[in-house]
Amino acid sequence: MDPIFIWIETSGLSVWARESTSLFAFPGILALHAIGMAIVAGMSTAIALRILGIAPDVSLGEMKRFVPIIWFGFWVNLSSGIILLIAYPTKALTDPVFYFKITCVTVGILLFKRISRRVLDRSSIGFPLGARTERWLAIGSLVCWVGAIGGGRFLAYTYVKLMTI
Amino acid sequence: MLASAETVAGFMRTKWAWPVSESLHFTGLGLLFGTIGIFDLRLLGVAKGIPIAALHKLVPWGVGGFFLTVATGMLFLLTEPDQYIFNSAFHLKVLFMFLAGLNMSLFYLVAFPRVKSVAEGEDVPFMAKCIGGASLCLWLGVIIFGRLLTFYRPFPCGPEGPGFVSACLSWVSY
Repeated sequence: MDPIFIWIETSGLSVWARESTSLFAFPGILALHAIGMAIVAGMSTAIALRILGIAPDVSLGEMKRFVPIIWFGFWVNLSSGIILLIAYPTKALTDPVFYFKITCVTVGILLFKRISRRVLDRSSIGFPLGARTERWLAIGSLVCWVGAIGGGRFLAYTYVKLMTI
Repeated sequence: MLASAETVAGFMRTKWAWPVSESLHFTGLGLLFGTIGIFDLRLLGVAKGIPIAALHKLVPWGVGGFFLTVATGMLFLLTEPDQYIFNSAFHLKVLFMFLAGLNMSLFYLVAFPRVKSVAEGEDVPFMAKCIGGASLCLWLGVIIFGRLLTFYRPFPCGPEGPGFVSACLSWVSY
């Protein structure tokens, strides 16, 4: 893996993201990542709370209108996350906590897709999920986002090797 | 106050206290931005099919998220006060929080008595839309300046004092 890490870490994008003193480089990318996290994890949590019975007078079908905004947040996170990974590939890919985070994000997004298609969209084809299944999807979603947030934070404290070059 | 700060600092300097507290801080901000953000978006006209009073029941969870961020934030501040008090990003973060609080007070004192009866399909008054938009911008500002804190640490990155110090980047925990 070392030659791959060296290749990435010496690339123009990696050097720029890591070493530029511009606020739009590393600091800006981190800020975008935090904003994306607030949108994806935060608004998915709001939808999960609704499914669990908070604000019961809110129509689930109407909550679906926030789904495109959550997807926007996800793409902001994915893009900024890829640049962060390019800036410090060794740090992330040699840390097991990174894989835990990505697993949480992946499962969280899969649960979100299922929720938006089968729980929020009552007209979707297929027999309706039971109320208990819907609640477990919501709980699973909450667990995944807390795991992703915690994993992301712990990355800064658990890495063993910052860079290969 | 000093004695409690020492107790807090003692706890916060154990191995995992800081990252656990930071994770709770980010969870709180997610809860705050997610619920209050969705309410602000409704004020701006997204998902007009939701009556305001019904959606407003999510807001207490956002307030809970806010208190979680404040509680964990106090842990950081009491442990390493210099890192925040002399940090210009922290000053801006607190300013934006204060403005968000003022904005929220304006909403409840002036706009909410009329807005709470807005039914499904109806739009809120223009002033409430402005407050909702300002709320989103202010909380985004809080998030941004919170993330920039690490780049405006006054010490021990260098004797240059507050300001962008690239020497910090090689060891900063992101």
